[in-house]
Amino acid sequence: MIVAKRKPFKEIKGLVSGSKKILVLGCGTCVAVCLAGGEKEVALLASQLKMALALEDWDLEIDELTIERQCDREFIEEINQKVNVDEYDLILSTACGAGVQLVSDVFDHKPVVAALNTTFIGVAEGPGVWTERCRSCSDCVLAETGGICPVTICPKGLVNGPCGGTRQGKCEVDPEKDCAWTLIYNRLKKLGRLDRMEKILPPKKWSAQQHPATVIHEAYKRRYE
Amino acid sequence: MAISFEKALTSGKFLATASVDPPKGTALEGLGQLLERLKGVVDGLGVSDNHQGIMCMSPWAVCKLALEAGLEPIMHMTCRDRNRLALQSDLLAAASLGIKNLLCVSGDHVRFGDHVDAKPVHDIDSVHLLAAAKGLAEGKDMAGNALEAAPTLFLGAVANPEADPLEPQLMKVDKKIRAGASFLITHPVFNMENLKRFMEQVKKSPVKVLVGIRLLDPEEIATYRNGGCPGLFVPEMVLEEIQGAGIEKCTEMAAAAVKEIKGANLCDGVHVVAPGHEERIPEILKAGGV
Repeated sequence: MIVAKRKPFKEIKGLVSGSKKILVLGCGTCVAVCLAGGEKEVALLASQLKMALALEDWDLEIDELTIERQCDREFIEEINQKVNVDEYDLILSTACGAGVQLVSDVFDHKPVVAALNTTFIGVAEGPGVWTERCRSCSDCVLAETGGICPVTICPKGLVNGPCGGTRQGKCEVDPEKDCAWTLIYNRLKKLGRLDRMEKILPPKKWSAQQHPATVIHEAYKRRYE
Repeated sequence: MAISFEKALTSGKFLATASVDPPKGTALEGLGQLLERLKGVVDGLGVSDNHQGIMCMSPWAVCKLALEAGLEPIMHMTCRDRNRLALQSDLLAAASLGIKNLLCVSGDHVRFGDHVDAKPVHDIDSVHLLAAAKGLAEGKDMAGNALEAAPTLFLGAVANPEADPLEPQLMKVDKKIRAGASFLITHPVFNMENLKRFMEQVKKSPVKVLVGIRLLDPEEIATYRNGGCPGLFVPEMVLEEIQGAGIEKCTEMAAAAVKEIKGANLCDGVHVVAPGHEERIPEILKAGGV
């Protein structure tokens, strides 16, 4: 899933500066799971804004709404059934960067600003902890590396083995973190597939990751041709 | 003019090499004096490439000065700061100036340097860079296009005998050798047992090995201890020994390490690094019996 973090409150306050009425728009999918932008976080942010602005005699009316997904037009269209977007000076979105942009596309007559910094694609390690696992490079090497991504887990993204800084299996860049290539070596050894690590993996095909990327499912290709 | 580094490596003589860092700025006078001191003392002189992610003059300029001074430069090239186009074009530029010896490295992470917000490039890794350089020497670029004239190159790579665990490091070294490395320069070694274990494996190939010796600086103890020098693993016992000592004592220790490594008859030479104290390199080598 996509993991995001809320921007510093001071920055968010600056983003809504000059507004009289805003909609804080939450997203019920990834950012809700990572406790950054779901219904509860929208309520928290709205309350925090109200309290902080009251102290400054800033009269800001704040409405709250959380939809299932901001990265899907089908759900964004529900917004107008629940609120009148034209009443707001600004929409403060707590979605990931993709969601913010699609809401902005749909309501292109209203400023839509991001309350979060989108951080990575990752997994839940435990309550309140998420770690990055995928760089969405479009040229996956996981089959060769025991299901552990060196492009993501190694800070240098090295695909052919460790640098010289591994110490007690830890990474030189952050000794709190495991060296990706120690993890890969141990996993492949456990699987009896260490021969995979002997293979020189070719340079990454960064061309597969042209930005902005588009994926059209085979079944839909004719529709968009 | 010195004999080529490649010839020296095949001569069977125990070699002395060292590294210097290019200046931060355009002042070359001090460096020129250092090059004069190292002339006739080292068989090859490494020139670092934004060492530890610290922005300095590009190494090709210093390598050119070294050539003019009669030294055999070994240009370091890091994958951290350039993509595959820039790496290949800089390599061709260096070769056109007469720089043949190339040390292909991934590069220390930018977080250790002085531009911590820079984007680490790592388009390709050191294994790829070796293969790319070998390809250029054979007349083809990475995309398979023919070159008008191919550069003459002698390729090397870096390895750390004290990496822990060692096995993945050895597998990477094997890839580097297969990709085109003719020589290895190791990270500084403090534990002879680790070096022996490393050499047992590496000596199965014809690659030449120059073992790293680091002149420690008592003022840097905290940095060594907190991992501020990537790939440099100084044992606590050694740190305690240099605590409160002067640079003279550290110079003696570096010379003793040179002597021990030469005496062990394990490798093809030593590679001395003495950051901030490069003027002591001749003394370390001489006292070490090289």
